Amino acid sequence: MNPAEAEPAEAEETHHNPSDSPQQARFRREVRQWCREHIPRDWRVTQSGVDEAEFVRFQKAWFAELHSAGYAVPHWPAEWAGGPPTRGGDPVMSVENQDVLYQELAAHDAPRLVLAFVGIHHAASTLLVAGTEKQRRRHLPAILDGEIWVQGFSEPEAGSDLASLRTTARRTGDSFVVNGQKLWASGARHADWCLLLARTDPDAPKRKGISYFLMDMSTPGVDVRPIRNAVGDSHFCEIFLDDVVIPADNLIGAENAGWQVAQATLGAERGMTMLELAERLAHAGFRRLVETAPVDDPVVADRLAQFEIEITGLRGMCRRVVEGAAGGPADASIVKLYYSELLQRLTDFAVEISGPHAHTALTKPMSSGWESGSWVLDFVGSWEWTIPGGASEIQRSIIAERGLGLPREPSVA
Amino acid sequence: MADDFTEFHDELRAVAGDLLAKDREPGWQELVDAGWVGLEVPEGLGGAGASFAETAILLDQIGRAAGATGYLGNGVLTVGALAAAGPDSEALLGQVARGEQRMAVVFGEFALDGSRLSGHAEFVPDAVGADHLLVLIGSATGAGLAVVPSGELTVAAQPVLDETRRLATVTADSAPVATVLGFADDRAAAVLLDRAAVAIACDSLGIAERMLTATVDYVRVRHQFGRPIGSFQAVKHACADMLVDIEVSRRLVADAVALVAAGGDTEIAAAMAKAHATSTAVAVAGKAMQLHGGIGYTWESGIHAFLKRAALNRSLFGSPAAHRKKLAKRYSTR
Repeated sequence: MNPAEAEPAEAEETHHNPSDSPQQARFRREVRQWCREHIPRDWRVTQSGVDEAEFVRFQKAWFAELHSAGYAVPHWPAEWAGGPPTRGGDPVMSVENQDVLYQELAAHDAPRLVLAFVGIHHAASTLLVAGTEKQRRRHLPAILDGEIWVQGFSEPEAGSDLASLRTTARRTGDSFVVNGQKLWASGARHADWCLLLARTDPDAPKRKGISYFLMDMSTPGVDVRPIRNAVGDSHFCEIFLDDVVIPADNLIGAENAGWQVAQATLGAERGMTMLELAERLAHAGFRRLVETAPVDDPVVADRLAQFEIEITGLRGMCRRVVEGAAGGPADASIVKLYYSELLQRLTDFAVEISGPHAHTALTKPMSSGWESGSWVLDFVGSWEWTIPGGASEIQRSIIAERGLGLPREPSVA
Repeated sequence: MADDFTEFHDELRAVAGDLLAKDREPGWQELVDAGWVGLEVPEGLGGAGASFAETAILLDQIGRAAGATGYLGNGVLTVGALAAAGPDSEALLGQVARGEQRMAVVFGEFALDGSRLSGHAEFVPDAVGADHLLVLIGSATGAGLAVVPSGELTVAAQPVLDETRRLATVTADSAPVATVLGFADDRAAAVLLDRAAVAIACDSLGIAERMLTATVDYVRVRHQFGRPIGSFQAVKHACADMLVDIEVSRRLVADAVALVAAGGDTEIAAAMAKAHATSTAVAVAGKAMQLHGGIGYTWESGIHAFLKRAALNRSLFGSPAAHRKKLAKRYSTR
């Protein structure tokens, strides 16, 4: 059976978290009720194999639905999220409740926010940490109205070694003129704005000559070309920049301090978003796998149990990161590495035990997670986690150097 | 939540670490005097009134030191077993906490005929030298503990390759039983086994932490090809993998410890912690031996002691495969 035709997995209504406070238990009931009333029952079927226009429409509608319930940007400060006032800078929703929210969205197999991701996480955290009041007022409300963002960091010669990027931004009066090429810009075709790193001082050491810009994607000279990826879709894009003029007002942080701004905001996706992904791996992923696996085969059962243990450990690590417990300097890398490779192992195993029929799932539902149940596509797609955002090899070096204090690789002269 | 205890826990950890650094093989009296045996015994009975959360800290430190102590059998399991027996065992708990009675817990195949006990068990921790043994029995009226003077039993040391644990075989041949203590809860025997599994998991976590620290310290100073070997990616990435697996174990063990301490349903969390932490400790100790190179393979380096203890821990109170089987039973009912 094509997994896309399967009924949405029913959430375990009997499941209640014994560690819930009375307040969390109340909130959990509220979210469950909302999920039952608002998650489109048949979205996995209706969103299978749809075209880009329908995908964008569905994503924007789902974002608006979540936002009207107060569930789209629970991590934003209340001042910007539009909720009741909280203590300065506190998120509009408590971390404990965000935890519950993501557990329940995963348990009810809600569609994922794909298009809005960069906007509500990277762009928002960049604006909140380093933006001017004017920049925040211009963009944060617009993001809530559906403004789509893309990240323009990587280049053909600057992947894992991001600091060697070559795109240049030359100051001319009140503006910068940008030339170069960006790669792996996910969702660039639909983006309204771009978080752009470009070199403003070619003579400075490589990390000290980079600036961070907000770039309007409709500016003349911006040319987006989709790249077909390993699973056959084209959300990764190249962005060609030919004499693109960016007003100096759109510089974020100080000129030549772009690397520091990027470092401060790049980790924005690593806390709560990782918890959300871990919950999805547990619910949409593991539960779906158990429902279809030949569990009476002791070898299969043993492997499944090992996955359940590993997923439980991952959820524990993510929860600890979001709850802000005193952590290690490499926690973000540990979580990213472990999630990526666990996703790869799990989807690999799912393909292995699903037989040739797994290969007949030629599409996966758009807006689903990384474990849609179209296991072969999920498996091939798992490299989208182990390569971008700091490949696994880079993460291991970070863990060893920052987490364990091992000496750096001697630099090449 | 745990923050209120952080300072107390740090102090407990430091004191235990110091004690084990001075003497890796503290005797029974030393454990009593240090307050370890009575840690979980109510204050009214002469104990410290702490919980398994504190016991877990000591177990972790003992694992780090590969300490040869009777703490598991004479402390952790004895106190857990007596506590499960309710008010009837209070006098005994007090005697144990004060060091007047040394006991060990026996899981095995035993049958009670009137007031006579027969049966056999292997790999019983810390039974040699105990005054009384607490033998788990099941009877028509419910499970409980037969309290038997060790002189009425045959208790024989059972040597294993790991020289840091003391195991024994226990044989009862129509042995007279002093008292039978009934368990208040019919899940008590299973909960006690979970306590044992989690205790071993804590010990293994300590072993893994110690082996990672030792390895990191070594690869930072050992030079080959003109640079510290820890600067080579093959070496540093192996260390990173050790840390990642330890972090996963740490979360699973913390969850299981919290449930044991709170008296919650420990079955699933204990199985996960035991399976993961004991497997990880073997892998980490093995990798530690590898990354220490030739030195690591010498008797002198002591790494072998941690590897053997980790391997024994993995086998005691249910192998990882047995624990995973327990988890997997839940899948087929779906």
